[in-house]
Amino acid sequence: MTDTITPRSLDELRDAVIDRPGTIRIAGAGTAHDWAGTPEPADTVLDTTGLSGIVTHNPGDMTVEVWAGTPFGALQTDLGEHHQRVAVDPARAAEGATLGGLFATADAGPRSLQYGSLRDLVIGATIVLADGTVARSGGHVIKNVAGYDLTKLLHGAQGTLGVLARLVLRLHPTPQVTATVAASCERSAMAGLARRVADSPVEPTAVEWHAGRLLSLLEGSESGAEARARRLAEILGSDAAVLAPDDATQAWEAHAAAVRARSDDRAVFRFGVTPSELPRVLDALESATGVTASPRTGVATVALPADADVVATAHRRVAEAGGTSTLRQRPAGAALPAFGPAPASATVLRAVAASLDPDQRFGRGRLAPWLPLPDQTGQPTGVSA
Amino acid sequence: MPERTMEAPHGGTGNDAPGAATPPVAVGPELARAFRDVLPADLVITDEVGRRSYECDGLTGFRQIPALVVLPRDADEVAACVRVCARHGVPFVARGAGTGLSGGAMPVADGVVISLQKLRRILEIDVENRRAVLEPGVYNLEISKAAAPYGLYYAPDPSSQQVCTIGGNVAENSGGAHCLKYGFTTNHVLEMEVVLADGSVVTLGGPTGEQAGPDLRGLFIGSEGTLGICTKVTVRLLQTPETVRTVLADFPSIEAAGDTVGDIVDAAIIPAAVEMMDSLSMEASEAATGAGLTVDAPAALIIELDGPADEVEAEFSHLTAICERHGATRMHVPAEAEERQKVWKGRKAAFAAVGRISPDYIVQDGVVPRTRLAEVLTRIAEMGRDAGLRVANVFHAGDGNLHPLVLYSEAAGEHDAAEKLSTDIAELCVELGGSLSGEHGIGTDKACSMPRMFSSDDLAVMHRVRHAFDPDDRCNPGKVFPTPRLCGERPGPYRPHPLEEAGVIERL
Ligand SMILES: Cc1cc2nc3c(=O)[nH]c(=O)nc-3n(C[C@H](O)[C@H](O)[C@H](O)COP(=O)(O)OP(=O)(O)OC[C@H]3O[C@@H](n4cnc5c(N)ncnc54)[C@H](O)[C@@H]3O)c2cc1C
Repeated sequence: MTDTITPRSLDELRDAVIDRPGTIRIAGAGTAHDWAGTPEPADTVLDTTGLSGIVTHNPGDMTVEVWAGTPFGALQTDLGEHHQRVAVDPARAAEGATLGGLFATADAGPRSLQYGSLRDLVIGATIVLADGTVARSGGHVIKNVAGYDLTKLLHGAQGTLGVLARLVLRLHPTPQVTATVAASCERSAMAGLARRVADSPVEPTAVEWHAGRLLSLLEGSESGAEARARRLAEILGSDAAVLAPDDATQAWEAHAAAVRARSDDRAVFRFGVTPSELPRVLDALESATGVTASPRTGVATVALPADADVVATAHRRVAEAGGTSTLRQRPAGAALPAFGPAPASATVLRAVAASLDPDQRFGRGRLAPWLPLPDQTGQPTGVSA
Repeated sequence: MPERTMEAPHGGTGNDAPGAATPPVAVGPELARAFRDVLPADLVITDEVGRRSYECDGLTGFRQIPALVVLPRDADEVAACVRVCARHGVPFVARGAGTGLSGGAMPVADGVVISLQKLRRILEIDVENRRAVLEPGVYNLEISKAAAPYGLYYAPDPSSQQVCTIGGNVAENSGGAHCLKYGFTTNHVLEMEVVLADGSVVTLGGPTGEQAGPDLRGLFIGSEGTLGICTKVTVRLLQTPETVRTVLADFPSIEAAGDTVGDIVDAAIIPAAVEMMDSLSMEASEAATGAGLTVDAPAALIIELDGPADEVEAEFSHLTAICERHGATRMHVPAEAEERQKVWKGRKAAFAAVGRISPDYIVQDGVVPRTRLAEVLTRIAEMGRDAGLRVANVFHAGDGNLHPLVLYSEAAGEHDAAEKLSTDIAELCVELGGSLSGEHGIGTDKACSMPRMFSSDDLAVMHRVRHAFDPDDRCNPGKVFPTPRLCGERPGPYRPHPLEEAGVIERL
């Protein structure tokens, strides 16, 4: 029997963790419920959406503290009133994903070329551990090297290790203008063309290949961004043009829709390799469809047949190229490998998990097999701290 | 070490100081032999003169002669050395160039210093993928020099960049003047090879920002050598911006300069750098460098914009208009790169130059939310007046990172008062919603102030994580976290609340 609990304050959150015995699955808006490892059935589902809203926003300091269950889209809308934003653009935001959910799944969008992912923008956090300990790390200032950057551990932890209660983020000004240059281009030509974009002085915020076009996003001041877009279109030649605003919106929406697509018989596979390896790895994933790729960061999202061998082979191919991969949305009930071969650092992961959540109460199965399930005897796995 | 003229003792309070030189117990010849099994004999330093040159980092008041110093030449030898330590149950301290300003690389008694000075190869400048693969002992500035022929550079630029190592930068999560726009070391390191306390070798991070599993890379960066030794680093390289425009603007008051910074932020301009200097620091720097600073101006800003020409030109005229609106009394716009370097020299040489106007000084490092800059500076001025000491201010105004320089005379017996004032300033930063350190780290220097910023639970959780990496406290023990040995001996404000202390100390 799974019971759902929706705490509405830090105290309620801590009490929920202490009072409920057994295993807990942390859930935000559920937009990535089927990403990474398949969760084991849990005694309690901890719904974070009751922890919502801005705690403090200091526009002059360009920082904001936010409850982790806040829908990311709503946060951006609020910040937008002050001409500020969190400079990440994961596709799932449009489906109502929470800030904490995006953070825990290390999700990021095209703008990561310039701004990195949420791990680069978070400057502090309040977390609750499995034993009820409430811990803070970082703070409210963008520059801060006091103590360990514990917050980073929760980035990509997929709902293991601890519950994010609040996050403090660094903000950026909303650009006055965004402009998009589209160049038609076969997939096989994207690396070369993207290199020309990168070597030009226009400093794009994002460069993505999707559906036969290379899209470059320019953001900045009113006069600056448009001038840069025109300049880039000129550099790229006759196949490139500055898109009209509506066409640009449509192009990026189509890109995001491909990233978050769900289908009955395909699973979404996300990976990152060095940019020079990207074309080779993509070519090797013969059955891939719905490709979006960032030829300058080396990150791509593709749909593969929901077949365990196909997915395992894809993980292996990425690992051979020195990269990392995670399986994302998949048909319900499909038993597919979430990760590639475990890296040597999995020993560290296990030791850290054993120190923070020795009984694996949170998110059991989400990082399996890198973080194996506790064994039959109920003993926690991993090294004891 | 041209910029390192920190002859001023800082931190030591005579014989009872935690770092006071206690002669180490003679190391059994066994340990030295074990190291000679994995390294040539001349790379195992056992003589006292040799060991003494590793007794402190840039914070020279804290000293401890190590039992042994080893100089491995590659990652395998580092791992072999760490395994020797593990086998003999001996603690070790990784050491880059020793320019740290928080006593992070200070040896531990009866411990080994593992110097990374011989791991100095740039393994790869990968132009296509815009990254560099480095051994940890590579100097920060060497990376940009090696990348320059390809129009690329490495963004984080600590003032000590000619003489500090990338391994030290990783351990400290170092920043620099240009980090407001470009971020800190953590934002530029993709992947690292790390030797753990048991001598095993792991890779943290990956070739892209894409992550499978928790960000162990991000946890390691800034952990001050307490989680392992970094033996290889892959960093991102950025394209050299098309245009750079710099203005040196004088202001009639610190407040006017501070308000200017606020308006720049409000105008959605993110400068590459915004540095502020007060008249005392300008006086010192000008005497040392002749960089063209106005010594009788109460405050000056050095503001730099970089990026595509179309963007920078528009923003630059906006920027100078903002300076004018706040009553800038002079604006100097260097026309060429050389002139710009001169202005920057005036800023970067400020610490060392203070030696010209004061026999001794302490460099402090604290952070406040940017909107509280004027307030903190007023409070610092008051505290200085009360203590009867002068404080010069040089800082990264864009991100609220202060470097107050507390001037004093050891000969006149002002050391303890200066020490107290400096600590009070760091703790004031915490009180105002900021941090004990923006870039120099906690090390030995500020471990006892950590309870001002973090609860005993916060610190206990950090400790749990530390023990997951290093269950026996062998990596740089005694740093970052308050220990009874260190803090029990400290008088006054360092002492954490006894209850808090109890919670933390149990776990040490
Ligand atoms: C004049 C001056 C100006 C400075 N300006 C700045 C500035 O602008 N910004 C800034 O951030 N800092 C600044 N610093 C501080 C210092 O230069 C930095 O902290 C630098 O990163 C230290 O590098 P290092 O090689 O000297 O490290 P060290 O001092 O040798 O070591 C620092 C810490 O890192 C650990 N360590 C070193 N190498 C490794 C490794 N390979 N693996 C694991 N741990 C390791 C050590 O154990 C120690 O805890 C300045 C210092 C001086 C003297």
